[in-house]
Amino acid sequence: MDALYNFVLIYMVYFSVAVFLVGTTLRLVKIFRKPKQATSLQIYPEKRAKWLGAIYDTFLFPSARKHKPVLWVFLIVFHACLLLLIIGHLELFEEFKIFQLIPHEVFLGNGFLGLIFCVTLLYFLFRRLLSPVRELSVPEDYYILILLFLIAIFGSQMDWARSWYGYEEMVVGDYRTYLLNLLTLKPEVPYNVLIAGHSFMLVVHVFFANLFLIFFPFSQSMHSFLSLPMNKLRRG
Amino acid sequence: MDQNTRNDLLQLFREKLNSAMTYYLETCTRCGICTEACHVYASMGQVKHISAYRHEIVRRIYKKYFKARGKVWPSVGEAKELNETALEELYESAYSCTGCRRCMVYCPFGIDTQMIMSIAKLLLIGAHSEPEILTLLADTSIEKGKSLDLFKESFMEGVKKLEKDVVKKWKMEAGETAIPMDVVGADLLFVALAGAHSIIPTAAVFNAAGEHWTLSFFEAVNFGAFVGDPTRTQLILDRILNEAKRLKVKEVCICECGTAFRVMKQLAADQPFKVSSITEVHARYIKSGRIKLDPSKLNGPVTYHDPCQIARNGGVFDEPRYILKHLTNDFREMSPEPKYNWCCGGGGGLVALGEDTLDFRMKSARVKADQIKTTGVTTLVTACENCHTQLNNLNDHYQLGVNVKFLTSMVADALMQ
Repeated sequence: MDALYNFVLIYMVYFSVAVFLVGTTLRLVKIFRKPKQATSLQIYPEKRAKWLGAIYDTFLFPSARKHKPVLWVFLIVFHACLLLLIIGHLELFEEFKIFQLIPHEVFLGNGFLGLIFCVTLLYFLFRRLLSPVRELSVPEDYYILILLFLIAIFGSQMDWARSWYGYEEMVVGDYRTYLLNLLTLKPEVPYNVLIAGHSFMLVVHVFFANLFLIFFPFSQSMHSFLSLPMNKLRRG
Repeated sequence: MDQNTRNDLLQLFREKLNSAMTYYLETCTRCGICTEACHVYASMGQVKHISAYRHEIVRRIYKKYFKARGKVWPSVGEAKELNETALEELYESAYSCTGCRRCMVYCPFGIDTQMIMSIAKLLLIGAHSEPEILTLLADTSIEKGKSLDLFKESFMEGVKKLEKDVVKKWKMEAGETAIPMDVVGADLLFVALAGAHSIIPTAAVFNAAGEHWTLSFFEAVNFGAFVGDPTRTQLILDRILNEAKRLKVKEVCICECGTAFRVMKQLAADQPFKVSSITEVHARYIKSGRIKLDPSKLNGPVTYHDPCQIARNGGVFDEPRYILKHLTNDFREMSPEPKYNWCCGGGGGLVALGEDTLDFRMKSARVKADQIKTTGVTTLVTACENCHTQLNNLNDHYQLGVNVKFLTSMVADALMQ
């Protein structure tokens, strides 16, 4: 079992992070180095603040708010949770003062953020099962949502699982040791992480996260990077 | 389809893959926000007409041949082989899209469906499966550009015969030319459509404004753009660019033709002359007091249909409304707002395909007919030949009971001597 845990928590992590970083970088470089569109792709009426407008369109999705307000609420909550969950994971490496502007315990949200995130994913998933979005969808749309759901449900419920042991097992310090070991290329999973009763949840969480990272550069998740330049094209 | 043909088509596909096109093909999340954007879907309710579905027909071929995933795990994105069936799907998708870009306003990323459809149209040309009539018309335009000397005299004679009709609308001093042609050093080159209706009213307005103008030997419409052929589009455009440079004009003014205006505005951005639509020029004349209009000529409520290529895709929104303010006291805006104006349903070459597309054009533009009906107007004005034809067809088909007019004709009819 330890070998399996080590594989998922160490070697597979290195592999998936490498695929994610190298794959994303190479794909972006390749795309950005392609010839520019010679003609304008702007939509009118023209607004003066083109960059500001593009940033607004990229991060607040005004067109979604106007045409699909319920979807917009879920989209905003989903992306806000995603951002906070990324911050939460960064805090597992080290405590950043800037994130403590609003004082909180690590992990941020104590699992509730992840649960809200899961609810938004379920909404996206069930929405895809209804016409006409069902006819528009391709398998990858479902795979990504299911993958994110599995990552988030096992990740967020680790906090709840800790309550089985009076919050004594797999404390923040253990995560920090594990992650710093990975960062400093000393591939070793701390003993506390391996023996905890709910270790399997961490392994499953990391396993699905690895799959997501591997798939990311080749999927429509690349919109994370391409949305801004695209919105800029529309703004002119 | 044999492998050589497929390779040739994939080479055409590859040539279209600039950075913007790649963003569009990589990014769609099929969220469905664009569902209600397309007038064809809104009118007919078939999923195949939703913008995201249209892109996916092109994107599946992209995934198959231009992404590693297409070889390793094609089923995850439903990557699809380029074959005869795919060409049929591409045809249906490309020639049911009018290129109005209304969906681009809806898309949270701003994906340009018209641009993706340009791949479909190019592949169809490569496979000799495009509507032949459009290619034929484009080739005729190009040929005309190559042999100007052959038709120059007969064209000038024909235009000369129109002068008496121009003078009926605006009296001129003895010795003045009602339709000047080939004038080196003119301030403005007017590019009309083939037809007296496009030349006579505009000539009268130019003369009334005291414009130092000249009429182009070439018609504005660009069939190369309709058929989605970049080479032909450029060749057709070059005829006008070369003429404008030869005559050393300061401004090229495009008649009431949406595609011609957008193509000229975009592809002639770095030329030593300004590009304007006729609507912009007329609004300028009114503002500066060069022409005066009689508002009593027009009775009843009026609305304006924004041609997609001139308004949403060309930026001319305010000028037609400014002109109409001088022509009527009862102007009624359509709902939704101009940015979201429904396409007339005739763009993208569909009107040029005539009777073959009539049934589809009528069914797919039901929402446009409803939009017009809701205004309760008696006069429907537009500034695009394609839109005018399609709106007239809609008027007959849906018995809207409106009088469909060109804005330029209305300006010419209301000129105060």
